[in-house]
Amino acid sequence: MSDTHNGQGHSHARRTFEVRVLRQDDPESPSYWERHRLDYEPDMNVTSVLQRIAAQAETVDGVHVAPVSYDSNCLEEVCGACTMIINGRVRQACSALVDRLLEDRPGEIELQPMSKFPVIRDLAVRRRRLFRALEKVKAWLPVDNYYNMGPGPRQSPEQQEQAYPLYECMSCGCCLDACPQYSHVEVVRAEGETDEQFKTRENATFDQYFIGAHAISQVVFYNMNPTGQNNAGERLDAMTEPGGIQVCGNAQNCVAVCPKSIPLTTSIGRAGRAATKRMFTKWFDK
Amino acid sequence: MAKQRVMIVGGGLAGLAAAMKLAELEIPVDLMSLTPVKRSHSVCAQGGINSVNAVTRQQGDSEWLHLDDTVYGGDFLQHQPPVKEMTEWGPKIIDLMDRLGVPFNRTAEGFRDQRRFGGTLFKRTAFSGATTGQQLLYALDDQVRRWTVEGRIKIYEAWDFLGPILDADGVCRGAIGQDLVSMEIRAFPAAAVIIASGGCGLIYGRSTMSMACTGSAASRAFQAGARYGNPEFIQVHPTAIPGADKLRLMSESARGEGGRVWVPRKPQDPRPPREIPENERYYFLEERYPTYGNLVPRDIATREIFSVCTEDGLSVDKDRLAVYLDLTHIPRATLDIKLGGILHIYEKFQGVDPREVPMKIFPAVHYSMGGLWVDYEKNAAGGLTMGSPRNQRTNVPQLYAIGECDYQYHGANRLGANSLLSCIFSGLVVAPSVANVIKTAKPAEESLLKSAVAEKQAEHDQMLRRPTGGENPYLIHQELGNVMTKSCTVVRHNNVLREAIDKVNELGERSKRCSLSDSGNWNNQNVMFTKALRDMFPLAKAILLGALARDECRGAHFKPEFAMPGLTATDPAELRREAEAWVDRFDANTNKWLKSTIASCDKQGEVSLSYEDVDTTLIKPRPRLYGLVGAGMIEEVWKARQAAKSSSEGNGSAAKSAPQPAVAH
Amino acid sequence: METTTAPVPTSVPKPSFLVRHQFIIYRLFSLAGLIPVGAYMVVHLLTNASVINGVSAFQENVDRIHSLGKALWIVEWTFIFIPLMFHAAVGWLIISGAMPNTGSYAYASNIRYTLQRATGIIAFVFIVFHVIQLHHFFGAPFKEIGDTKFGAQFDPTHAASSAAVALQPLWIKGLYLVGMLSAIYHFANGLWTQGITWGIWTSAKAQQRASWVSVFVGLLLTAVGVTALAGFSFVDVERAEKVENAMEAQRAEIRALDVAPGEAPAEH
Repeated sequence: MSDTHNGQGHSHARRTFEVRVLRQDDPESPSYWERHRLDYEPDMNVTSVLQRIAAQAETVDGVHVAPVSYDSNCLEEVCGACTMIINGRVRQACSALVDRLLEDRPGEIELQPMSKFPVIRDLAVRRRRLFRALEKVKAWLPVDNYYNMGPGPRQSPEQQEQAYPLYECMSCGCCLDACPQYSHVEVVRAEGETDEQFKTRENATFDQYFIGAHAISQVVFYNMNPTGQNNAGERLDAMTEPGGIQVCGNAQNCVAVCPKSIPLTTSIGRAGRAATKRMFTKWFDK
Repeated sequence: MAKQRVMIVGGGLAGLAAAMKLAELEIPVDLMSLTPVKRSHSVCAQGGINSVNAVTRQQGDSEWLHLDDTVYGGDFLQHQPPVKEMTEWGPKIIDLMDRLGVPFNRTAEGFRDQRRFGGTLFKRTAFSGATTGQQLLYALDDQVRRWTVEGRIKIYEAWDFLGPILDADGVCRGAIGQDLVSMEIRAFPAAAVIIASGGCGLIYGRSTMSMACTGSAASRAFQAGARYGNPEFIQVHPTAIPGADKLRLMSESARGEGGRVWVPRKPQDPRPPREIPENERYYFLEERYPTYGNLVPRDIATREIFSVCTEDGLSVDKDRLAVYLDLTHIPRATLDIKLGGILHIYEKFQGVDPREVPMKIFPAVHYSMGGLWVDYEKNAAGGLTMGSPRNQRTNVPQLYAIGECDYQYHGANRLGANSLLSCIFSGLVVAPSVANVIKTAKPAEESLLKSAVAEKQAEHDQMLRRPTGGENPYLIHQELGNVMTKSCTVVRHNNVLREAIDKVNELGERSKRCSLSDSGNWNNQNVMFTKALRDMFPLAKAILLGALARDECRGAHFKPEFAMPGLTATDPAELRREAEAWVDRFDANTNKWLKSTIASCDKQGEVSLSYEDVDTTLIKPRPRLYGLVGAGMIEEVWKARQAAKSSSEGNGSAAKSAPQPAVAH
Repeated sequence: METTTAPVPTSVPKPSFLVRHQFIIYRLFSLAGLIPVGAYMVVHLLTNASVINGVSAFQENVDRIHSLGKALWIVEWTFIFIPLMFHAAVGWLIISGAMPNTGSYAYASNIRYTLQRATGIIAFVFIVFHVIQLHHFFGAPFKEIGDTKFGAQFDPTHAASSAAVALQPLWIKGLYLVGMLSAIYHFANGLWTQGITWGIWTSAKAQQRASWVSVFVGLLLTAVGVTALAGFSFVDVERAEKVENAMEAQRAEIRALDVAPGEAPAEH
């Protein structure tokens, strides 16, 4: 099946293009640019570019180098793994088509790691803070058990149509990387610190900084759910702790860069309204 | 003494379902995964999840018919008790996922909506847009996150499973993992290890599977002594978009919602597809399979698309093979609500709006029906004995397998939307079994753990130190993919398979001489990939050997040499004779080949085969007649013989279970 | 970039008061921007624009404000200076944490975000200048305290003429135009973001509609502000002084006749 499409493009002369990659050997080392030249093939995307670079393992200057580290998995833009900065803009490498990129900037593609997360190596970054935010806002339904208790509550198609897009969030981090309010937070492991100690300290640090649009949107998703409404207040309280929704500066880059077109700013507005109500409820009803 | 822990390898639907259930049972869980669990391959599942539901039940459907469709679609190659149990759990599992917050599509009245999938005439499939796998996975991930916060589950993300730790008695006492960032190798003592690592599509180079689906975890268990069942049964999905790095799935739900597959009757008709009038279009699936139409089981749809392009020369393009998958007759709003996810994928990767222009698609390797052999304990009702330590257990004591990497549920061909069910089901079922194992399991000795780590560390160091052998792992992988794709997908020939085995053996040898372009010890993806590549070979060999040995056609395994074509006679008496001969041949073939292939791997990585009978006590195997010419007559002969048999057995008990075969005429 | 480094940190220090009460502080900040600071600005601009109705009309408006007498001091502090300083201080905190990135993401809303911060700074600097120039210092009520060389140029009894004189230099006019437009932009765009923050407009469509309302408010205020500025430019200072003097004389006459409650009328 892999032969069904012609990868050689023999109708035109051999064409090449360059890829500039911002590399970094490990978290402590400085970053540096490296250039690779690749043969053009039709239908390439940036993940196939990185696969070719790994196979080729040689820079434009003929220096043998280790493959560029990067994360990837599904290659169809549903897992969120291969997020990086491509020609200055955060997005998934798999859905970044080389033809389009070369149209925008002929001859060269520029790859950088995400800017708001600690670099592990090259284009691979550590995005644990993003998942910590989901823990913080209790993004789950506290069901009684996993036994057979019959179906969940009935819901209208309108409710489903509002909820579904929010659950398409693949935690890729585009909304965070493009957010001018989301800062780079890096906690360095201390000598002799255990896994658990480090995690606790890292969590406590993360918890002081902005949770980000993705987590706010999950609060909205779960608070919309009829079962989730039972502990909606807890999520709202978590969402208004330090680093909560109040840090949002309404630049609205999140919604502009979201690869899944999730209405994140609508979520922010709705979460803001819920937080307002919650504030008055706490002051005047209790 | 602290409670013993359970190690789960893999955080897709099966692994997370098991973790969540074990957490509820207050068993401490470790879970290691190559990727953050939320990025597991389950997110790629699109169409939906099957079960009997309130509507179909009143149309005559039942759990039994779901079982029947599953084993008939799977060409009777799966043990029936686990499938029976699974179909009975189906409605409960979907209810549970509903309770966990999965945004299933709804009817106007607020019930879960269902659509039709391949291999059945009922609308059994609940769905959440066209990203059902993603939605189900996220709900489980969120539950697991809840237990992670509570401290019941510890997740090790970006850890590679290097193998099970077996003691002198061959009992699994834990797992070895490697941190892919720090490259630390660590032993995880565990009262049970559950492999939930998914499929092995990367053996085929490009497939619809994710980059983590190397099959390495299953292969490492296989090489440690776990048996591997039905390796040759690899599902090739009928509809995918070809790409340079991956073949992207276009869900069966596109056809479930009314999508039609066609080619222009005139080869490579240069007109834009929408300008080709109806009478000049060849809706070949609908014409050849009037009952099931575009929703025949996947193996059949795949073969038809393949042959319409290769044999009939009707591919829509000259330089590449493809057929049209047409949704343009369906209103945009409906498409966006029900299929939005996959349409976005097509639009993003092809730059064409599939709501306006028919999609160009072609089959692609998609799923491994085969996998680690696992056991089960049958109960009196013909289902499973819940909590039995045997359920989902490999032949290695205390080593379990669930999800796509077990061989148990789909036989020779998986029906669409059954995999999400089997993944969650096997995950939920394994939990009480493991809970019972823990009660008696002894903790692993420190020395055993230490020596296991030392062995893997030595292997790892050796790989980094190896003098340059000149081989490039990425190029070997490409070659392996090409060989496997050419020899062992839709159509299989023994001579091609033999050549492929030689080639794969050669590549396997060469893979041992890979020189690493990165010899560092920090996030070395090069060494990790090379390890995975080397572990592809035992499975690749098992697939090829299994395919070579199996001289018949069954489900996804198709050898033209052994095909049983339809009847040709027009004269009724002659037709009857042909049908009798056909059924004779069918019976002979069933006697010879209705058995599971069981592959074993020795210490040198050599693979040998044996066979195991299939438990077909619930539904008697019968000819799979979807759309076959002369199916009516074959069915008549078949029924007559069954009637004769049951009367000669003295009672009519055979009639109690067997439903009428769902035959497409 | 926040980096917490080794060695041996056993715990993270307790967050500061500002961090612990971030939500309520940011909400008060948001509120202060609208009421009273924003609302005051609107009234202020409208009052100033009334100069085009004539020197006496403007003087009457100013007189009405200053009729509060000593209480004006309290009103100014409570409703203008304290909220303004609070808004500015928290705003500074917010701005110092911002990482504008319009270079990579030149979306309209992102540009507005950056402008909101830039105009916030400009407007604050301008307001400080404006208050010192015309009002003396914060809280020091105009000329009643005394002249300085530069500040306190506004004389509430000669409103139009003293303002016109103060605004006479071209560079001052330019400065006022920039400062005023910044403040107006900051207010109008702030209205829009505030609507999202408090959850008044949530859907993309509603936010779009709200942004048109904000644009309208901004343009309207710009018209009012420019009218005021232009109005002061066209004041004939000599004639204005005559009018104001006459009005002051009249006021003095009235004051002389006036009797505070319970006080005996003065003998004439």
